[in-house]
Amino acid sequence: MGLDWIKNFGSIANMSDVQEATNQLLHVNLHENQRYIHVTESVPRSESEHLRVTIGATVPTGFEQVAADEVREKLRSSCKISKDRGKIYFDISVESLAQVHRLRSVDNLFVVVQELKDFQFKETKEKVLKDFEELAGKLPWSDPLKVWKINTSFKKKKTKRKKLNQNLSKEKIDNGGDKGDERDVKKELSNNALDSHILDYYEKPAIKEEISTLVGDILASCKNENDESSKEDTEPEVLKFRVTCNRAGEKHCFSSNEAARDFGGAVQDYFKWKADMTNFDVEVLLNIHDNEVIVGIALTEESLHRRNITHFGPTTLRSTLAYGMLRLCAPQPSDIIVDPMCGTGAIPIEGATEWSNCFHIAGDNNPLAVNRAANNISSLLTKSQIKEGKLSWGLPIDAIQWDICNLPLRTGSVDIIVTDMPFGKRMGSKKRNWNLYPACLWEMSRICKPGTGRAALLTQDKKCFTKALSGMEHVWRKVHTVWVNIGGLHAAVYLLNRTPQAFVHPSGQDKEELLSAKND
Amino acid sequence: MKLLTHNLLSSHVRGVGPRGFPLRLEATEVRVIPVEFNPDFVARMIPKVEWAALLEAADHLRLAEVPKGPTQGYEQDETFLRKMHHVLLEVEVVEGTLQCPESGRVFPITRGIPNMLLNEEETQT
Repeated sequence: MGLDWIKNFGSIANMSDVQEATNQLLHVNLHENQRYIHVTESVPRSESEHLRVTIGATVPTGFEQVAADEVREKLRSSCKISKDRGKIYFDISVESLAQVHRLRSVDNLFVVVQELKDFQFKETKEKVLKDFEELAGKLPWSDPLKVWKINTSFKKKKTKRKKLNQNLSKEKIDNGGDKGDERDVKKELSNNALDSHILDYYEKPAIKEEISTLVGDILASCKNENDESSKEDTEPEVLKFRVTCNRAGEKHCFSSNEAARDFGGAVQDYFKWKADMTNFDVEVLLNIHDNEVIVGIALTEESLHRRNITHFGPTTLRSTLAYGMLRLCAPQPSDIIVDPMCGTGAIPIEGATEWSNCFHIAGDNNPLAVNRAANNISSLLTKSQIKEGKLSWGLPIDAIQWDICNLPLRTGSVDIIVTDMPFGKRMGSKKRNWNLYPACLWEMSRICKPGTGRAALLTQDKKCFTKALSGMEHVWRKVHTVWVNIGGLHAAVYLLNRTPQAFVHPSGQDKEELLSAKND
Repeated sequence: MKLLTHNLLSSHVRGVGPRGFPLRLEATEVRVIPVEFNPDFVARMIPKVEWAALLEAADHLRLAEVPKGPTQGYEQDETFLRKMHHVLLEVEVVEGTLQCPESGRVFPITRGIPNMLLNEEETQT
């Protein structure tokens, strides 16, 4: 892919304003020169082997292009980016299903049962819900269900991550937890006046406009009324299912709850499945975005994005977001990639896994964070050890405790910097960002290689960042901005190129003056 | 801490500048952990390595068989590349110290993690 990809962004830098105004991705068909794979065999060996389906994937909002790029690279499929943000669609032959699961930029996967592009919603709620009921019996379920069946062999086991996902406000003290650590961590948490919904946005996938997850209770009660007849099952094993409805749009006269309930009822009648909210085999998705209705069957049980991190901290970044940010920088073999504020190490760990032909350094000033990052690295070693039968092999990654404002790295020694900069709300404070951001950008420009170096920086404090960046045009050139929606909060990933200008070490006094001038 | 990392580290004690490189490495515990050999990675890394610093560090760790510099046609020389791969990526300093050659300031390495934090006075003007 090379650096040309990044340089192209320079020409669309102005687009970021347009993007901000419209705040919506257009329906884009990415048909590159890539040849479209057709099934040409006249006599298939077995029917399911040549089955082609459309897969839908949810990705971090703002990273649809990056995800489409990964799909093109790894699956040789072109993608359709949906108007419904955070979703991409692509066609595959069922043989590629395992590879689909190895995509690093996607959170959840589903197989499309049917896409209804221009659904004519009737005027009353009763009529609309009736339409949904009738829809259930008319859909082409057969092929998607075959895919679902094949897919169950790939499903990941539910791990202890489920437990960790739940108690987010309680800090888990893991290795090396002595009294001192506990006190520090509790102080850390109480210092931030946290809204619980803000706590959520890192650990949970992006909050959708309206999510309905209920079907079980209502259907179960309906079913009890017709008890005797439904007890006779024709199949030895009755599948359990649930319907999840996501609805977005101004003009709908119904709620996602209602749609899920009625559609779910019809699905149950059609298949004679059993409704179960928590212990389901099949999760049917009903995605409604304005006039677009997409019915799908989920292929992932829980989001893939938590995969690498077993030790959580207060601000653990989603792996899919970490991957997207790294990919934006187009890492080249032997690049030195640094995260100078690594927290639990989500970014460098993703980097070491996916770009093992680069060298990664995870650094943080917080001893808890660095230790956690090191623990996560060790956990990774154990996983790959098991997977490939290699005994305690290492990875091209190191952890260091350091101060971002005074990095112990040689000038111009780093190719790529990728980091999640402190947001005022969760770590640090907005006031501190005013001093921190200019100092960070300064030091990062020093360690970054002139001419070829680049940085992808995530921040919610866009105002502070933009101000800090102004006046640094001689070392940093902003080439692209990705507007990211993290659980309802609007953040941005800034992609910067390091200019060819060599870093000039000012005298101590000059530096102080330059940095304080930025706060005016 | 791997030797490749050591090759990138430089002392940031105030006033020291480029004279803070390389940090003097001492180790009380060293481990060898195999890493997947990627010849392309190693070959591309060779031009970026500060050789004097690498040799000095390897010497302090009493490593044997460390090439003194890139050989002619090293890109295709698998023996050479494997030796460099070993030195740069497979030798881990678990416990030890890094010392600033100019100021004498010592930074500890604990459980493989160097602590490069300076205290208040060391960062003042």
